[in-house]
Amino acid sequence: MLPRVSAVRPLRPLSCFPLCSGGPEVPAAATVLLGAPHGTARTKNNVQRYFGTNNTICSKKDEQPASMHEISKETESQESVKENTKKDLLDIIKGMKIELSTVNVQTTKPSSTRQLKSVEATINRLQKAPGDAPKKRTKSLSPELVAAASAIADFLPFDKQTTKSELLRQLQQHEEVSKAQKNGGRAKISVSNIISDMKVAKSATIRASTRPVHQIQFDEGSDDYMSQKTSDVKKSLRKNMLKGKRLNIFDLKAVTEETSETETTPSLWDIEFAKQLAAVNEQPLQNGFAEMIQWTKDGKLWEFPINNEAGFDDEGSEFHEHIFLDIHLKDFPKQGPIRHFMELVTCGLSKNPYLSVKQKIEHIEWFRNYFNEKQDILKENGIEFN
Amino acid sequence: MESRLFLLAKKSGENAAKFIINLHPKYFQKDIAEPHIPCLMPEYFEPQIEDISEAALKERIKLKKVKASVDMFDQLLQAGTTVSLETSNSLLDLLCYYGDREPSTDNHFQQSEKSEELEEDTGENDKKSKADDQFGVTWRAKNNAERIFALIPEKNSYSYCTMIRGMVKHRALVQALNLYAELLNNRLQADVYTFNALIEATALNMNEKSEDKWNNILELLKQMAAQKVKPNLQTFNNILKCLRRFHAFGRLPGLQTFREMKAIGIEPSLATYHHVIQLFYHHENPSKGSSRIIYDIMNEITGQKFTPKDPDDDMFFQSAMRVCSFLRDLELAYQVHGLLNTGDNWKFIGPDHRRNFYYSKFFSLLCLMEQIDVTLKWYKDLVPSVFFPRSQTLIDLLQALDVANRLEVIPQIWKDSKEYGHTFRSDLKEEILMLMARDQHPPELQVAFADCAADIKSTYESQDARKTAPDWPANSLNCIAVLFLRAGRTQEAWKMLGLFRKHNKIPGNKLLNEFMDSAKASNSPAQAIEVVKLAGAFSLPICEALTQRVMADFAISQEQKEALGNLTSPTSDSDSDSDSDISEGI
Repeated sequence: MLPRVSAVRPLRPLSCFPLCSGGPEVPAAATVLLGAPHGTARTKNNVQRYFGTNNTICSKKDEQPASMHEISKETESQESVKENTKKDLLDIIKGMKIELSTVNVQTTKPSSTRQLKSVEATINRLQKAPGDAPKKRTKSLSPELVAAASAIADFLPFDKQTTKSELLRQLQQHEEVSKAQKNGGRAKISVSNIISDMKVAKSATIRASTRPVHQIQFDEGSDDYMSQKTSDVKKSLRKNMLKGKRLNIFDLKAVTEETSETETTPSLWDIEFAKQLAAVNEQPLQNGFAEMIQWTKDGKLWEFPINNEAGFDDEGSEFHEHIFLDIHLKDFPKQGPIRHFMELVTCGLSKNPYLSVKQKIEHIEWFRNYFNEKQDILKENGIEFN
Repeated sequence: MESRLFLLAKKSGENAAKFIINLHPKYFQKDIAEPHIPCLMPEYFEPQIEDISEAALKERIKLKKVKASVDMFDQLLQAGTTVSLETSNSLLDLLCYYGDREPSTDNHFQQSEKSEELEEDTGENDKKSKADDQFGVTWRAKNNAERIFALIPEKNSYSYCTMIRGMVKHRALVQALNLYAELLNNRLQADVYTFNALIEATALNMNEKSEDKWNNILELLKQMAAQKVKPNLQTFNNILKCLRRFHAFGRLPGLQTFREMKAIGIEPSLATYHHVIQLFYHHENPSKGSSRIIYDIMNEITGQKFTPKDPDDDMFFQSAMRVCSFLRDLELAYQVHGLLNTGDNWKFIGPDHRRNFYYSKFFSLLCLMEQIDVTLKWYKDLVPSVFFPRSQTLIDLLQALDVANRLEVIPQIWKDSKEYGHTFRSDLKEEILMLMARDQHPPELQVAFADCAADIKSTYESQDARKTAPDWPANSLNCIAVLFLRAGRTQEAWKMLGLFRKHNKIPGNKLLNEFMDSAKASNSPAQAIEVVKLAGAFSLPICEALTQRVMADFAISQEQKEALGNLTSPTSDSDSDSDSDISEGI
C-alpha cells in the first residue's frame, strides 16, 4: 500500500496545483511544503500550522511567509473577486485562538471544526480545487482525519464535497510529503553501488542535504526515470568524489612546510625514473619540423639565426683585452730596440684571432723570460733591460 | 602506414650505425664538426681505469657494469682500502636496481617486446606486474646486494632504503618488510620512495585479506606522517594502483585516498584518474548499476593540460574511452576526445596499440550512436591518417551505413579496405556482399555494386591461386551472382553458376528464382532448363517449383519437356504424373 502510494506520489504534488497558473512556482511551492515534518502523527500539527501561516497571510499581506507566498500570489490573481469574502474571513480568523496541541482530533473536534473552518476557507480562497480529486488518495489518511474532514465539510457553508476533498487533499499532501522524505533517503540508497558502499560511512547529514534536490526532481516529474536517477546520483556523487571523508592522515601544514632539501646528486633510481617519464610522452615525429627540432636539441643542427660564436665562449674575455696589449708591456723598457720589438709583437698578437688572451699574455711572458735570461748579451750590446 | 614504416626503418638504421660506431671506436675518431657534436662521437662502454682504486669502482658503477663493480669492490676490500659510504651506496643502487644482473645492454636494438598490457584483459594484468618488473620473485637469496650490504660497516638510512626498494622491485616482499623493521629498530628514517615501495609490498602480499592489507597501508601512512616524511604523487598513485587488486572493497578507500591527495595539495596526474577508472569500472557488468564517477572525473579535468608525472599517465585515455564505449555515451566520448586535443595532451595517447584501441573504440561508438554524415566525416578524418581500422570496425561502419540507408558508400569503403590490408578478410567481404545484394537498388547503384562485386570476386580468385583448397563461402557466391544479374551482366552471372558446381556450394532459392526471371527476360528456354538442371543436380526441393515455372512460362520443345520430366522423376512418381498431366493440359 504505502510503496504504491509513494510510487504514484511523484505526480501527486504536481496535480495538487494543476490550475495554478504559476508553472515555475509550483515546484518551489512543492519544495516548501516538503519541508514539513515527518510522520502522520504530526499532520495535526501541520493542519494547525496552517493557522499560523494563515494568520500571517490574512493579517499582513506584505510579510507573507514564503510557503504561502507563491500560492497566494497565484490565487490572488485568479480570485480577486473574492476580496470581500476574504475580509470577512480575516475577521473570523483574527478572533480565533490558536491551539498548538497534539490533542486527539476527535476530542477537539468542536474547536477544531471552527478552526478548520477557517482553514477550509483559506484553502478555498487560496486554491482552486480540481473537481476530480482522486479518491484513493484519501485512503492513506487515518480514518480519524477523514472523519474530521468530513465533519468540517458538513459544518462549512460551502459546497460539502469540494471542501471535504480539498481538506483531505491538503492532509494527504502532508502525508505524502512526510512519506517522501522517509522514502527518499531509502530510495536513493538503493540506486547505485556507490551509494550503497557509502551508506555505512555517510551520516544522515548527507541524506538531508541532498533530500531537497531529490525531492525537487521527483516533483518535477521527469518522465525518464533513468535520467532522473542518474542526474540525481550524479549530483550526489559529484559531492562524493570531491567532498567527503578523507583519510585524515596527513596534515596540510605539515606537508607544505619547506624542509631543507639537501642537494644530492640524482641516484640511479632517479635517473631511471626520469627516463621512464620521458618515455611516457614519446611519440614518433609527426613531421619534418619535429625532426629538425629533435636534431637541434641533439646538437646536430645549428641554431638559427646563426650565431658565429656558438659553442665558443673565449673564457669571457672582451675584445679590448685582445687588442690593447700595451698594458702587459709595462715591465719592459720604455725605449730602445726591445720596446720597439715588443710593440711589434703586441701588434701582431692583437691581430691574431686564433689565440686566447691567456695565450697572448703567455707569449709576452715568454719574451720577458727570454730577455731576462739573455741579460749578459744585452749588456754587451749596451741595451738596457731590467 | 608507410610513413610509420619509414620512420621505423630510419630509426633502426640509426641504431645499427650507432652500434657499429661503438663497437669500433678507434676508427671513428675524426672530429671535424665545429662546434663539437658529442652525440655523433663514439661512446665508451669499457672502463678505462685499470688499477684497483675507488675511482675505478666509480667508473664501473657509472658504466653500469654490475659484475665488474662487484669484483672491484671485493678487490678493494681485500686490499684493505675502505670504500666511502657514498660509493658503497651507489654500488648498492646499481645492484638493487638491476637485481644483481647485468642491465640489458642491447635494449636499444630490440623492440621492447615485453608483454603489452591490453586494457581489455585487465583482469589478468592485476596478477601480472608491469612490464618493467619480472614475474615472480627474482631476487635471489644471498645475492651480492645482501652480501655487500652486510659488509658495509656503517649503513645509513640511504643504504637501507635502497635495499628495500630493490627488494620490492624484485618481489622479495617479506624480506623488504623485515628490513624495514630493522630500519626502524636502528632508529633511522626512511624516505618517501621507500614508503612508496613498502606500500606496494604490503599490497602485493598474497596471504592476507583486503581489509588487513588496507589497514597495513594505513599504518604505513600514519608512520609516514609521524616521521614527517612528505608524501608525493607516487605515494598516492601507488596506493590507488594497489587498491585495484581489492576490487569492490577498494572503492571507498580509493575515493578517500583521492580526497586526501587533493586536500594536501598534490595535483593528481592522469595516472591517478586512470587508476580510479580502473577501480570503478573493472568488471564490466551492466546489470549492476555502473558508477557515475567518470562524469565527475571528466568534469574535473576538462580543459586541463597535463605534463608527464607518472609512467602510467599514458594509460588514461585508453581506459576512459573503454568506459565511454561501455556506457554507450557519445557526449562523454566527445569530452574525452576534446581533452586529448587540449594543449599537448595528445602525446599521452601512448604507443601504437593503445592509440589503435582508443580510436577503434571511439569510431565504433560513433558508428553506433552518431548520425551517418558526422560519422562519415570522422571516417574521412581519422582513417587512415590516424589509425588503421580493424575489420570489425569496418563492419560496424557498414552496419551504420545500413541503418542510415546509405549503402551507396559501400564501394568506396571496399576500395579503402583494400588499401588497409583487408583484401583477404572473408568476414568483411561477406558483409559487404550481403549488404549490397540484399535489396533491389536503382540501376546506377546496381552497376556500381556489380563492379565492386567483380572486384571482390577477383580477390577470391587470386586467393584461390595461392591456396590449394579454394574456399569460397556460399553466401559470397550467392551475392555476387545476384549482383551481376541485377546489373545486367548476365554473361558473368551465368559463369557464376558454373562456379557453384565447381566449388560444391549450394545456390540459394532466391538466386535461382532470379535466374529464372532473367532467363524469362531474355526469353531463352535453354537457360531456364540450365537452371533447372542445376537445381536438380543439387537435389534441391525448389527444383519442382522451377520445373513447373519452366513449363508454364516458356515455350519448350517436346524433348526438353521430357528431359525436364526425367529430371524430376527421381524425386517422386506422382509428381512426374502431375507434371505430365500439366504438360498435357498445356
